[in-house]
Amino acid sequence: MNTTRRQFLRSSSALIALPVFSSFEHKAFAAAKKSKNQLPPKRLMFLSFGWGVTEESWYPDINTPGADYKLPDGLSPLKRHKKDFSVIQGLYNKHSHDGHSGSTFWLTGANRYSQAGVSFTNSVSADQVAAQQFGRHTRFTSMPLNGSHPKISGDGHGEGLSLAWDNSGKPVAGYNSPFAAYHKLFSKGDVSIDQLKTMLNQKRSILDTIQGNAKYLQKKLGKNDSLKLDEYLASIRDIETRLVKEEQWFDIPKPKATLKEPPKEADGKQDIKLMYDIMIAALQTDSTRVITYRQPVRTLLKSIGVNVNQHDMSHYHQTRAEKLDASERRDKAQSALLSGLLDKLKSTKEADGSSLYDHTSLVYGSNIRTGHSLDNCPTIVAGGGAKIKMGENLVVRKDTPLCNLWLTLLKESGVKVDKHGDSTGVLDEIKA
Amino acid sequence: MKVTFLVVCMASFFAVSLSADEKSSHTLFDIKNKTFLEDNCQRCHNAKKKKGKFRVDNLSYKIDSNLTAASWQKILDSLNSNEMPPEDEDQPDGNKKADFLDALANTMVKARKSLSSQNGVITMRRLNRREYSNSLRELLGVEINVMELPGDTSPGGFDTVGSNLFMSSNQIEQYLSLGKEALVEAFIWKNSQNVKKKLRFEAEKLSEKYKKYIAKIIDAKARAERWKAGVEAAMAKPENKAIMVKLKKEFKHDSKIRRQWAQIKGAPAPEDFGFNTKENNSDKANSALRPYYLEYFQHYMTLPNIDRGAYLTIPTVHPSVLPTGYLEFQKPHSWPAGNYIVRIKAGADQKAPKDRRLLEFGVNAAHGKVMSTHEVTAPLDNPQVIEIPITFTRKHTSHQSRQVFFREKASDYYLSNPRRVFNKAKKENKLGLEYVLWVDWMEIERLPNTHIVAPGIEALEVPLDNKAKNIDQKALRRSFENFSQIAFRGEKAPKEFIDRLMNIYAEQRENKSKHVDALQYTLSIVLASPMFIYISEPSEDKKARALTGEELATRLAFFLWGAPADKQLTQLGKSGELFKSKVLKSETKRLLDDPRSSDFVHSFSYQWLGLDRLAFFEADVKKFLKFDDSVKVNAKREIYETISYTLRNNLSLKNLLKSDYVIINNVMANFYGIPGVNSDEFIKVPVPEDSPRGGLLGMSAIHLMGGNGDESNPVERGVWVLKKLLNDPPPPAPANVPLITRLANKALTTREKVTMHQELPQCKSCHRKIDPIGFGLENFDAVGQWRTENSYHPLGKNGKRDKKRVKKWTIDSSGALHKGPSFKDYFELRDIIASKADAFSHGFSQSLVEYALGRPSGISDEMLIEKMVKGSKSHAMRDMIHILVSSKTFKTK
Repeated sequence: MNTTRRQFLRSSSALIALPVFSSFEHKAFAAAKKSKNQLPPKRLMFLSFGWGVTEESWYPDINTPGADYKLPDGLSPLKRHKKDFSVIQGLYNKHSHDGHSGSTFWLTGANRYSQAGVSFTNSVSADQVAAQQFGRHTRFTSMPLNGSHPKISGDGHGEGLSLAWDNSGKPVAGYNSPFAAYHKLFSKGDVSIDQLKTMLNQKRSILDTIQGNAKYLQKKLGKNDSLKLDEYLASIRDIETRLVKEEQWFDIPKPKATLKEPPKEADGKQDIKLMYDIMIAALQTDSTRVITYRQPVRTLLKSIGVNVNQHDMSHYHQTRAEKLDASERRDKAQSALLSGLLDKLKSTKEADGSSLYDHTSLVYGSNIRTGHSLDNCPTIVAGGGAKIKMGENLVVRKDTPLCNLWLTLLKESGVKVDKHGDSTGVLDEIKA
Repeated sequence: MKVTFLVVCMASFFAVSLSADEKSSHTLFDIKNKTFLEDNCQRCHNAKKKKGKFRVDNLSYKIDSNLTAASWQKILDSLNSNEMPPEDEDQPDGNKKADFLDALANTMVKARKSLSSQNGVITMRRLNRREYSNSLRELLGVEINVMELPGDTSPGGFDTVGSNLFMSSNQIEQYLSLGKEALVEAFIWKNSQNVKKKLRFEAEKLSEKYKKYIAKIIDAKARAERWKAGVEAAMAKPENKAIMVKLKKEFKHDSKIRRQWAQIKGAPAPEDFGFNTKENNSDKANSALRPYYLEYFQHYMTLPNIDRGAYLTIPTVHPSVLPTGYLEFQKPHSWPAGNYIVRIKAGADQKAPKDRRLLEFGVNAAHGKVMSTHEVTAPLDNPQVIEIPITFTRKHTSHQSRQVFFREKASDYYLSNPRRVFNKAKKENKLGLEYVLWVDWMEIERLPNTHIVAPGIEALEVPLDNKAKNIDQKALRRSFENFSQIAFRGEKAPKEFIDRLMNIYAEQRENKSKHVDALQYTLSIVLASPMFIYISEPSEDKKARALTGEELATRLAFFLWGAPADKQLTQLGKSGELFKSKVLKSETKRLLDDPRSSDFVHSFSYQWLGLDRLAFFEADVKKFLKFDDSVKVNAKREIYETISYTLRNNLSLKNLLKSDYVIINNVMANFYGIPGVNSDEFIKVPVPEDSPRGGLLGMSAIHLMGGNGDESNPVERGVWVLKKLLNDPPPPAPANVPLITRLANKALTTREKVTMHQELPQCKSCHRKIDPIGFGLENFDAVGQWRTENSYHPLGKNGKRDKKRVKKWTIDSSGALHKGPSFKDYFELRDIIASKADAFSHGFSQSLVEYALGRPSGISDEMLIEKMVKGSKSHAMRDMIHILVSSKTFKTK
């Protein structure tokens, strides 16, 4: 590793400057053959929160579309970024009927009842569509982060292990803490390349053995059971693909950590902030180009001193009072956190002097508006990665498929795709 | 009235074809609902106009496909969201709309269920998390933490339902590492099976600490007084007159003035009197002048027997200085994993109230949760020994995870606000909280575990350590064969599989792994293989076939133990004996009587009754001082213990709706105010007819779930009763319903607030059923204590409770079920619910079928369920299980 080429990357919002590669340099280093003149790559980030928002104070007035809108109270912490994000109003997932699942179908637009004989189906999520193409260039195909603890329900996200659902509509597991994600990104382990090679071979022996066992079992099975076992075989293939990838990345050392090791546990607000830092680090080191994050709600409330139950909070309409207060404080806390993330995206520079922000598309939202309302899903888009109009209150036709936005972002980011979920076309009106 | 109202209304809008070919099963939407559509929708959505490309005149009332279901869903959605009829059109009559929505929403639930029915086909499934853990325990004799695996419980389905149990690459890797972990643990247990250890901690050590601490604060006080005298002498000097005038103007209190000693000429430094910290030492000296707890501590030293033991009470000073709040000690680091026993010898002041004579036990004094609660019945002068079994695994290495502790049972609020408790007590007796519990000693002992059965370990014919130079390859091969066969529940592993294992072991050795590592590494592959992970019942497609004896044994064992069959059951399966109804019955009985059936009680009850909600809420500890850690643990246990008791004694399910007894222990008895219960274990205690306790509706934990930890939630409670007790689940809350905000933040009673739900027809359609039940349970607060009054403080503009606008009211729990009988209070409501045992029993049976067979229950199960409900002796719980187990369905793939 050529240490003299390390740069000091100054992140204005970070208190300390750490020695790091700029993202482009690392990539250049990682894939030495690539041309240096190449533009920084496009990135996609999808962040969701359960239980929606306070509809009265989060949405800009629908009657003042365009750039000249008044920033509502719930978004006030985003004031300094007003020109650099847009709120999109009018989007929804037409197949969603469940007021307690803010994230299950958010990126998929699937109809859970689309298949006879099954009570739940889902389809591939937008991030995974992008990952299949962008993922070839990075160590991690995608990075699904999940701050909503899988063992604790009540965050309003609904079923799933992260926001990501694979090609066959099965849940993709996420990294559950900044600590876990950090180690995945930066921990080198203390093995040599030879040892690593041996280990990979050993893993292959294991895979051969369990695959053999699966095929032996499968011979006796009928069609239904055999299909069930296919999940196991597909999982083995996934591991194999990952091994191949590990092999390709063998002699490319993991990047040097751009941040301190996060604590194993942190309170809700801090936990989200740390996860945001991890995202920046992952993009900056070009470890991945596709990130999703299912944000915690329950612990966030606790950490900002709100004792109202998270589900009750989303039903503030009747009693208002402490529930509404909780809901509004949640909105502001979330907006303040998002504002911090935008600061970092803007201040983290690419090798060509542009910023991460310029090449990233960030979506921030939920399938739930508020209470059990699933139309006009709260949606914020930021970043220059997909050439979307920034600084505007973008009001699209009522009940436009959310998947039209996903399709637009995917296409504009360079993903080859013609349709996603229930999309009916791209949103030309939001393009810059 | 034998026929329940719910059966009547179900029949009115829901009919199902019971044709021979189950594939054609469909749901009928009662054609009489057509009028509503004709009156309100058809003028625009007809063959000619086709507004929005949608017609209601040609809709099929036979919902037999997802396409038809989608059209009806569209109608449901647009009525719920007020999108239709458009604002400028005539609006339907509220009641008619409510009835229509009621009928349609319920029909949609049935239709979705029927459309997603697997028609009785059981999909092969993997072990769920608990079965996986239990299987490792049966094989290796140890239990490890498997919480990193997905929980498998999904809303609306049981964790045995195969079609919902997915597999991922992460999981395969987790199986490999968890399997390895279990093997390592099992090897430790085996290799240390004879190790005996014992260590005693005398509690007087704490008294000695007290003594030293008291001496220290007395000394500090004396030094501080000398310093104070020195400063005061300097203040009196004439050269300080001017500065003193200034300081006195600036500071009111003498202590604050002393803090400025440096400005006073000739005043001595606190450092000269031994106050040498890095902080402001005059603060230290000032506070040493007023030793807050000194009198209390000195009182402690006058208590009897402190030279032979120690007293426990609330924490007063920081535990790092003096741990008055608990007694703790560590399991020595070098002692191996295994079963341990912790003992404590203690006595209690008999004059103290009963609720203060309880000891809480746990691991990790600073952050650990209470694991059990023990009543000290013996007097101070004749203490008793209490024994608590506990298991330490090899993962318990940290200081905290080896630290066991005892403390007095107390609310979290007390523990975090000791000063308040202390002050309150001091006001009463001028000293502080009375010392009640005296401890002589505590000890920890490791028990030999030669009796633990670990067939997987017994199957290994090679050494379990690295002492041997050469490993006999034939013995190794036999070890792999035997181990695999046990792990694969009797199925022999194919030769190629064993060959590969032999190769992998050899590879590991070549790569310089030691024998034990290589062995564990190789065996962990067996524990990630499909033949272990999946329960398979091989069959041709579409042909139902009878299970083999072994398969029946496995199915029975996983049903009642969540674990593989033991030797006896396997043997009976193999020989075919198990098919004899007598044998099947006696084996079912044996399994239910075995302690392993606690897995069934726990996991079935948890999912059947939806107890996951218990984890959603933290009770407000300040509001509910009595709801402390011990009550929280035991309130949950009460549900399981009651169901376990019902099952053990083959009692009627009716007892869960109403009974003249409760199954409680001393902690719950104190909480409920039921006198005379001294047992730490749960026992049967009779309750009078007028007691609100007895049955699920009288349980603290049930009401905790029906609230948010602060206030009750009548809607949640009503929904729970409809779903779980009356088997009449309301459809899921519809999306996009316009929200009512008119009466927001008004000072209203709970009933007034909730009743607003019924303003809109789309809400009324369900809430008229739900809410009355919730109101009938309003006498239970958020932690299930009985109350007769309630109040509500709306928030003022500053976000704080507006005391002027407080609303107080006497709870009115009267009401009437929708289209059903009326009740004047909770007791009458409970009687009405208790009279619907058939419905309750039906819901229970349906759940039991799903849980046992690992697939949603469908139309094809109705006959069986009917048999379970009617064929059992007055809904006797075991009878119902026997009927299910002996059914053809249970014995068929």
